[in-house]
Amino acid sequence: MNRLDTLRGPVAPLDHNARTIAALAVNPGCDRRALLDAAGVDKQKTAAYVGHPAPFGQSPFAITRAASFDALVKANGCAHLLRLLRETLGLSISEAAYADISDVGGNDSHQMRHTRTRALLKRAAAGGDGSCTLFDHPLLKLTVAGHEVYLEPSIIAFQIEGRFHVVEIKSFAVVDDQADAGQVAAAARQSAVYVHALRELFAAEGLDPERVSHDVVLVCPKDFANHPTATLLDVRQQLAALRRQLSRLTRIDRILEELPADFTFDLETQSPDEVGKAVGSVGARFAPECLSSCEMALFCRAEARGDGSTDLLGRTARDALGGLESIPAVLGLADESRPPSPEQLEIAEQLRYVRRLYTEAIA
Amino acid sequence: MPISKLGTSPPTDERTRALSIASCHRYWKTAGASGIDRLLLGLLIRSPTVELDALERRIAELRAQVRAAKAAADHATVRLLRAELRKTERAWDDALDPEPEPAQAPSLSVREQVHQALTLLGVPTAGKMIVAVNEAFFAGRVTAGQLTSLRRDEEKSFRTSPYARPYYLCAALTSELLSPARGLLAVSTWPAQIRIIGPLSPRTDFLTSAIRIAEHIARLIHAGEDASLAAYRLLTGMAQNIPGAVDGFDRAEPAQVIAAAGAELTIHRESDMHERGQAAKRAEKQLDQVTRLFGAGLKTARTA
Repeated sequence: MNRLDTLRGPVAPLDHNARTIAALAVNPGCDRRALLDAAGVDKQKTAAYVGHPAPFGQSPFAITRAASFDALVKANGCAHLLRLLRETLGLSISEAAYADISDVGGNDSHQMRHTRTRALLKRAAAGGDGSCTLFDHPLLKLTVAGHEVYLEPSIIAFQIEGRFHVVEIKSFAVVDDQADAGQVAAAARQSAVYVHALRELFAAEGLDPERVSHDVVLVCPKDFANHPTATLLDVRQQLAALRRQLSRLTRIDRILEELPADFTFDLETQSPDEVGKAVGSVGARFAPECLSSCEMALFCRAEARGDGSTDLLGRTARDALGGLESIPAVLGLADESRPPSPEQLEIAEQLRYVRRLYTEAIA
Repeated sequence: MPISKLGTSPPTDERTRALSIASCHRYWKTAGASGIDRLLLGLLIRSPTVELDALERRIAELRAQVRAAKAAADHATVRLLRAELRKTERAWDDALDPEPEPAQAPSLSVREQVHQALTLLGVPTAGKMIVAVNEAFFAGRVTAGQLTSLRRDEEKSFRTSPYARPYYLCAALTSELLSPARGLLAVSTWPAQIRIIGPLSPRTDFLTSAIRIAEHIARLIHAGEDASLAAYRLLTGMAQNIPGAVDGFDRAEPAQVIAAAGAELTIHRESDMHERGQAAKRAEKQLDQVTRLFGAGLKTARTA
């Protein structure tokens, strides 16, 4: 049993998915999230246990809708998808072979599925006999913060003339060739995670990672009907951002080194107070954006409020305050009730200036 | 509400009936004509025991009258009374089974209905398609939920007494591992290679089932009756994903679908059949009679 298993306690680890990795990459400085995710801790449960349940999660209706659209696109041996790929990418009629890797002979263990994914993709890349065109439910592996995680993708990988694409099926509508910008951006961020993971897999197999295309096929319902349509989405920008963020992610080993050996988030043996203290002892970097992407956000916000932290004001304000950690300190420097240390002289002067402007304005 | 219209029994033995009706009627009048009271009254008067009692008394009475008329050698009256006796006896029979089932198609079990749909399609098929075909061409009383445990039940039945039934609904096997393919149902009497799913098989099976459905609609048209709306909807939905099978969102024409699907099928068929044939031979050699039908999983090799 390694350190991360001790942290989690005797429960099965939660899988990463593109959503969690995209969220992690958005806030790369947060040790707390990195550690909890790396250990596969159920953050939802932990947050509820320590008294800050997240009003968070996907609506059951949205999940059902997404699942039914996904099933529609993949029904009858991906009949809809083949039509779309033939129309948009000119896939030849003879390429229709399909492999489902949601289990291997009834065995759905991660290692088995990942091994099979690698084998099938390698065979397809070699272009030999019996190579497939479509790969449903491939299980990818990704190194996040120095720790390997399995990535459960809801996607299909497919190859055309030796080049591999990621197909992302989303249930938001494309009306008049226009889709909701926020949804498309989120889809692009998630697809970028898959493209990145697929490229890592290729590199590990000694293949050229560039054979995985940066063009993602996005399949959505067209207009107001339930008829699927496909568009190509260039994720080069998201991919570059993701790569940069992942490389900056604090390494888990360094965080673990600073923790005592018997440190644990185990919900069964620890009281809520103890778990709360344990979670609190790992540094977090709260930002108001966390509220929409992290289950621990309410806990971190309460903590930041308790400390009067400048994190509460958002990233822009925090960065503008240049190294001042707490709101009372900022106010103290502004009204000169607190003497500035030598390195705070510059910011203190600015704050006093702002305060003067403010009092003149409201006088 | 006139009292005479309340009952359906013949107008004999009025005393008991009139008593109960009158008391009910009185109650109804005093209690006020709320909906529930009306319902109670209706139930009391139409209650089968009251009706049957009256009919039985009437039958006994008629029999006595028939005997008396016979003794008096009054043949005309005997005939009349006998006719009425038969009528009353029929009414008694009807009253005994108050709501006979409305005439319906002979009710097949879920298993038989699934077999019917699979026989039409001729290839291993997912539950959703079986339900759609059943709805389009047959009784349409199978729901997706009923199919979930079907394969397991069939396997259990086969294990306890192999080949006791004429056919079993079994699994399709994946070509590489000979494990049961997810969500597909097949019929045990099909040749082994039809029940194998290779990489190209999802596509060829889809094309084959589109052809089979189109052929069935053509048969129905040829026989002088048209297929249901659901059948055309099913065919059109499938045809939209076959190149050249349908123009835009028009209704699919069976002949055009058969031609287009057949054209694509010729491209895939050879390599698909080769793959399936090889796997079928392997299955023949490596598997026992149970796993040949229901697949060999890797589950047994899993260690905790």
